[in-house]
Amino acid sequence: MSALEEAWTVSRLARTVKQRVEQDFPATWVRGELVGLKRYPSGHLYFGLRDDLAKVDCTIWRSVAARLKTPLEDGMEVFALGTPSVWEERTALRFNIVQVLPAAAVGTAAQAVERTRQALLADGLLDPGRKRPLPPFPRRIALITSVAGAAVRDVITVARRRWPGIEVLVIGATVQGDAAPAELVAALELLPRIPDVDLCIIGRGGGAKEDLAAFNDEAVCRAIAAAPVPIVSAVGHEVDVTLADLVADVRAATPSQAAEFAIPERAEVARRAASLESALGGAMRTLVTRRQERLDRTRERMGAALLQRLRQQERRVHAVRVALPAALERHVRRPRERLAALGARLEPAVERRLARARAAVERQAAALHALSPVAVLGRGYAMARDETGRVLRQVADLSPGTRFTLRVSDGEVPARTLENP
Amino acid sequence: MSDTPTLGEDLKRLEEIVRRLEADDVPIEEALAIFEEGVGRLRAAKLRLAEAETRVVQVLRDTAEDGTVRLEPLDG
Repeated sequence: MSALEEAWTVSRLARTVKQRVEQDFPATWVRGELVGLKRYPSGHLYFGLRDDLAKVDCTIWRSVAARLKTPLEDGMEVFALGTPSVWEERTALRFNIVQVLPAAAVGTAAQAVERTRQALLADGLLDPGRKRPLPPFPRRIALITSVAGAAVRDVITVARRRWPGIEVLVIGATVQGDAAPAELVAALELLPRIPDVDLCIIGRGGGAKEDLAAFNDEAVCRAIAAAPVPIVSAVGHEVDVTLADLVADVRAATPSQAAEFAIPERAEVARRAASLESALGGAMRTLVTRRQERLDRTRERMGAALLQRLRQQERRVHAVRVALPAALERHVRRPRERLAALGARLEPAVERRLARARAAVERQAAALHALSPVAVLGRGYAMARDETGRVLRQVADLSPGTRFTLRVSDGEVPARTLENP
Repeated sequence: MSDTPTLGEDLKRLEEIVRRLEADDVPIEEALAIFEEGVGRLRAAKLRLAEAETRVVQVLRDTAEDGTVRLEPLDG
């Protein structure tokens, strides 16, 4: 039962549908065939747009209808710009149209624009890489627009609000009609001759929305591309993007927005400068304080380090002093002990060697004795030698009357050979 | 655009100087030098920020014989 108790009224349904449909629905171009056109005495137009599968009821209010250039008729193929709305009384959807373009006219215009776009593309003028950044703090801004138009006032208003002190140079040019392309090009060509221009805004404020032809003109686009300073386009049209927008370095929807893009907020920059000022002073104070502290710390550390080294040295000197007598003692005593020990070992060794030598001498003396002629004499032989000691071995050595010495085993006897044998 | 440092350059350099001063290893001589530079740039920036009134000028099409462009104040 509760579901039924909460049943909606029809008007609530109608209101809700209306809200849902109309909320956040952007203006949209719709293409279709115009059918059932009715012109009411009030000046409003009612008709349908359809294609093969669907149909939508449309309205054009009197104010819009009065501005239409081409008279509408049934069977016409059109582009219509509008938003859907719901008529609550019937819960009926209506497409509310603010602009109509016959498809035939759009076709030829669109083809021309497309040809121009291709030409610009081929020359690289639509390359995103060639877009220049806007200077962050411009002083002198050029504005190419109609002097009579709203764009001048809009840009100046924004400039005064955001950065008083900026200079705006207005270069007047017609922005609609047949003369517009030539005047826009002439204005753009003035830019290199004006000194110190930082950037240029080119555009139009409001006005008739359908005549954007000058901003799709090839000569205008090429002049924008050739400009010596960054260009902000502000053609004042939310829906269509013109070729001028594509060639420009920055695209803005309106002149006001272009000025917002181009001109920084002075108050913000002033705040940044103020914060830099205090940061600069602060950084310097901190730096000096920190250096001072570091110096103090270094001094303390140096004192401590010196003291520590001094104590270390003292301790070492003390240790040496204590250890010295013992070391000296060790150094002197040890050689003495070694000498004594060596001496003790040396004596018996010498003794032993002496004994061995003595025995050897005795053995050799015995051998010598056996060989000695004296020993032979002991066996009964005698040895004759002349006065010089020469041994006389032959008869010839002993001529008659020769004096000689005869050695026998226990001594010598003088002798002489007989005169007559 | 002129040869003197722009406001943008001044502010950017000021930021660099502050960063450098905040670094631990900056020699004291350098610190003093860049601090003075910072003070100078700050003065220039503040001067620039103090510029007074928006000037609106119309560029006239009928330029002089020598090709210079004529400017005329415009009531905005």
